[in-house]
Amino acid sequence: MRTKPGPARCKEIRIISQPQQTVKIMEFTEKHVEGLKELLYKMADDLLIIGHRNSEWTGLGPMLEEDIAFSSMAQDKVGQSLALFELLHELGESDPDTVAFTRNDNQFHCSQLVELPIGEYDFSMVRHFFFDHAEAIRFEMLADSVFEPLSMVARKFKGEIKYHTMHADIFMKKLAAGGEESFTRMQNAINETFGLALGMFEPGNFEAELIEAGIFGGEAELQQRWLDKVVPLLESFGYLVPKVESTEPALGGRHGVHTSHLQPLLDEMTEVFSIDPGADW
Amino acid sequence: MIVKSLDPRIERAALDDESKIGELNVHEHFETYEVFQQVKRGTHHQHVGNVHAPNAEMAMLFAKEQYCRRGAAVNLWVVATSNVFVTEYVDADIFETTEDKLYRDPNSYKVMDRINAYKARASKV
Amino acid sequence: MYGNAYIENDGNKVNSILADEDPIKLAEFEARIAAGDKIEPKDWMPKEYRKQLVRMIEQHAHSEIIGSLPEGTWITRAPGFRRKLALMAKVQDEVGHAQLLYSAAETLGKSREDMTNDLINGKSKYSNVFNYPAPTWADSAVIAWLIDAGAIVNQLANSKGSYGPYCRALDRICAEESFHLKYGHDNVVFLATGTPVQRAMVQEALNRWWEPIMHFFGPPDKASQHSEILMRWKVKMGSNDSMRQTFLNMYVPKIWDLGLTLPDTELRKNEETGQWEYTEPNWEIFKQVINGNGPCNKERLAVRRMAEENGRWVRKALMNKDAVYATPLA
Repeated sequence: MRTKPGPARCKEIRIISQPQQTVKIMEFTEKHVEGLKELLYKMADDLLIIGHRNSEWTGLGPMLEEDIAFSSMAQDKVGQSLALFELLHELGESDPDTVAFTRNDNQFHCSQLVELPIGEYDFSMVRHFFFDHAEAIRFEMLADSVFEPLSMVARKFKGEIKYHTMHADIFMKKLAAGGEESFTRMQNAINETFGLALGMFEPGNFEAELIEAGIFGGEAELQQRWLDKVVPLLESFGYLVPKVESTEPALGGRHGVHTSHLQPLLDEMTEVFSIDPGADW
Repeated sequence: MIVKSLDPRIERAALDDESKIGELNVHEHFETYEVFQQVKRGTHHQHVGNVHAPNAEMAMLFAKEQYCRRGAAVNLWVVATSNVFVTEYVDADIFETTEDKLYRDPNSYKVMDRINAYKARASKV
Repeated sequence: MYGNAYIENDGNKVNSILADEDPIKLAEFEARIAAGDKIEPKDWMPKEYRKQLVRMIEQHAHSEIIGSLPEGTWITRAPGFRRKLALMAKVQDEVGHAQLLYSAAETLGKSREDMTNDLINGKSKYSNVFNYPAPTWADSAVIAWLIDAGAIVNQLANSKGSYGPYCRALDRICAEESFHLKYGHDNVVFLATGTPVQRAMVQEALNRWWEPIMHFFGPPDKASQHSEILMRWKVKMGSNDSMRQTFLNMYVPKIWDLGLTLPDTELRKNEETGQWEYTEPNWEIFKQVINGNGPCNKERLAVRRMAEENGRWVRKALMNKDAVYATPLA
């Protein structure tokens, strides 16, 4: 649904599944819609890719009970991703399976953080901590979005995400206190992952429009709130947190520039689907 | 010998199938916690099983997924198995009661005859 | 998913073992079982009962965790959201079932650590069917439908057994398995009624898996060490052949209904006897595979070793020196 940007005008967004309901937003331009879609794509891509990565731990976790918990959270992420792709579909994009299973890496808008291989449990746990807190805050901000379908999705998943951050916090705390090997592993993982995490907050092309319309409060605010949350928390567990000013954020993901890990991931993810993308699986 | 697997995750791990790694030490899977789930406000918590966990917080995290990932629940308790005190089945006879404790049976309280007899006496006066 | 328990025992030996047991207690124990009552963890029980139950439940638990591996092969490659989510949920359930079953076995006094070590050292067995590879997506569909179907036949029977904790675990497992079966059938139906490529994929998978499926219920009654005492104690709830017949009766018609064929020209139902006739599977191959020489045995155990080893630093970090260890209750 990409058209040339025109003069500012009142835009009605019709929700396809409920034709009687239209959300009328004053001065909602094509740019706003583009910005909204860009936002939805990056969220949906992040959630799909991190859910996919975390599902690689199923059956291979450090302990049965934790294996079960981590798999559940991976499923939750993929489910949340689906909900956002469904919103995109209602806004005129193709159906979720087509969108998710037929794009190449330069068409994906996930952060580089989520595409890295699972590594060892230290990296996966730190990634889980950084990502899930960002997601929780992003959804908290979106709970008040003027775009009601998105605010509804954000509110719907609040409980799920609360468990995810609870899980991450408890593990980060306990692993800090678990002796030298454990602390060192976790501290190193934090050092190596911090810059990747900052890449989540790479500004989009429509920050001003989204903020002005009340659709989303923007990446800058999200990053600040995230830092205000995770830095004191990590320090309270005994970790040292790298300084933002001296950390290179891993940028590019939001604009289709990825590491060498994403395309192999996508090739694997789409291996069966691409046998026949038109078939019913 | 390095395992060649059809599973891409396993293939990437380049496992040696002759290696003797992985053996567990005593108690390496931690102690157990018994899990009690409350399905709805107003109902009793019910025992549903146990989880192995290193501490109560993680027992709670694990119990939520192992026992509550389907169906409704509003609350959970976890108790270390070592803190649960139990009776012995050989003493199950302490729960038996004899049949003749009629004083506890509401049906053993019958007064209509007595009331009627009293009324009959009172009306003759 | 349940794998058949490979119970081996010699009838004469059992009688001599029982000779050591208190006859009064034994009679009470057997009367309780005959009356349909359950045996609970702290009840008196003959040593042989405890031994056979531990072995059976432990094998079942191992089957679940190992069983998560062939299907787990396809989690990252599942086509489309619906299949991806369902397969993630199903495989996660298998891990959950392993946890429930290990707990049930632990009530009998064997630790989870000992059981895990016996698995990775090759001392304990698990269902043979998981020693085969799943080379295509359709293999994961066939496993999800027909192996789970076989498992359910076993589980439903065993859930009426005598040991309380095992029955309770099985009740929970059976409830979750119903989704697995539906998912598996749905998956096979989509492939069988889909494009020529999909149809061919599922037919080939079925051809590959038929013999392992026929092996699933264990050797024929006449060949196996039949155990009357385990039936009397409601440890074994049905003969291998009777379970196999139940399975064939329920599922062969459904397979044929989809226009799929099975690689056994002798397979048919004898309308007079009501029994299914088939080519006797190759039990030599079964023995080879169960004793470690199947296509994937080494891989399966290597994966479990890796999982435990890689997780060691995490467990070590979380170890609580004030923990008090007690045998799980129920």
